[in-house]
Amino acid sequence: MTTTEASRDVVFAEIAGMLRKVLAELGVDDVEITELTSFNEDLELESIDLVTLTALATDHWGEPVNLAEFLADKDLDEVIALKVGDLVDFVVAALARAGG
Amino acid sequence: MGKIVANGINTHYQRMDAKGVDPLSAPTVVFIHGLGTDSLASFYLTLAAPVAAAGINVIAYDLRGHGRSDCPDTGYTFQHFVDDLCALLDVLAMRGPVHLVGNSFGGTVAFGHAFARPWQVASIVSIESEPPTQPWSARMRQAMDYMAEQLSTEQTFVDLEAQNGAHHAKLARKAAAKLYSTTMVADLPEGRLMSAEDLRTLPTPVLHILGGEGLQGEDPHALERALSNCRTVVLAGQDHSVLVDAHRKVRELLIPWVRGIHTDVPWINAAADARALTAEHVA
Repeated sequence: MTTTEASRDVVFAEIAGMLRKVLAELGVDDVEITELTSFNEDLELESIDLVTLTALATDHWGEPVNLAEFLADKDLDEVIALKVGDLVDFVVAALARAGG
Repeated sequence: MGKIVANGINTHYQRMDAKGVDPLSAPTVVFIHGLGTDSLASFYLTLAAPVAAAGINVIAYDLRGHGRSDCPDTGYTFQHFVDDLCALLDVLAMRGPVHLVGNSFGGTVAFGHAFARPWQVASIVSIESEPPTQPWSARMRQAMDYMAEQLSTEQTFVDLEAQNGAHHAKLARKAAAKLYSTTMVADLPEGRLMSAEDLRTLPTPVLHILGGEGLQGEDPHALERALSNCRTVVLAGQDHSVLVDAHRKVRELLIPWVRGIHTDVPWINAAADARALTAEHVA
């Protein structure tokens, strides 16, 4: 396994953990999450839940991982259509830029 | 970031400090969203990051009955929302004038706050919005009654799903449930309204952003005539959803506006100094 693959796996696991935390607050447990899972269609998350996710991401990885900045570049419909893998891509790239 | 009690409401808010400058010396915008299915997300996921990157502090919060803030059964007059904003700025210890950026009903709350505490407001950016006047109150009463009637029929949600997708229909169902389980419909138009004279003498600079096909398309400069310091920008081809549909354009208007407002106007600073704001909050 290359360093990038290991990092990607770690990032995916961390994002999945954050999503489970958000879902648990909404009373949803035991959900399968893969990189193909979509936030709205599969997890039924609303835009307000993505705000919670941005806060969790910054708390965990710090300023280099600015999800709000990533999402601000998109139209709201694109944001709702995002998949977990899209977020993993962004976080891996942001960490690489920050040297992490 | 998170939750804070303001005016008895456990209020969900998010904060983003200005980047590249000392946040303590940077201007601050407070984003105020609209009614119904709206929440702080419509501002936070569009404008917050670029505005903070431009050296401006950002605060966004969920109105009572919306997003992740408390949803009490009663207490939804327009005045309650203005009092909530007053209390939130107090508990967040906002000591200088802030720029209020309000979308639709959020803009009306902004005007209400500037009317109550002009020394706390450096400017208003009103997006598809208007001040709380008697005509506004009458129109709001009609709109709330109409919405309550429409949302009581299943066909409305079927049509919404066909037109805008399952996600929007689901959000509308949630909003409808709130309408029927609270006093929102009856309460909203009530509060301290502004007269024509109040509008004329409001000192706050206003940037009025409208969609060309929005709610005020027929007379987009009416507010300019009513206020003494108002600039109107009409975004052609946009409707009431201009904030979300044209957020990049809104950002391009907002950032230079905030930067360009000079808050060293003597009457603002003198009044702010005289009122020592205390921060009391109960977690």
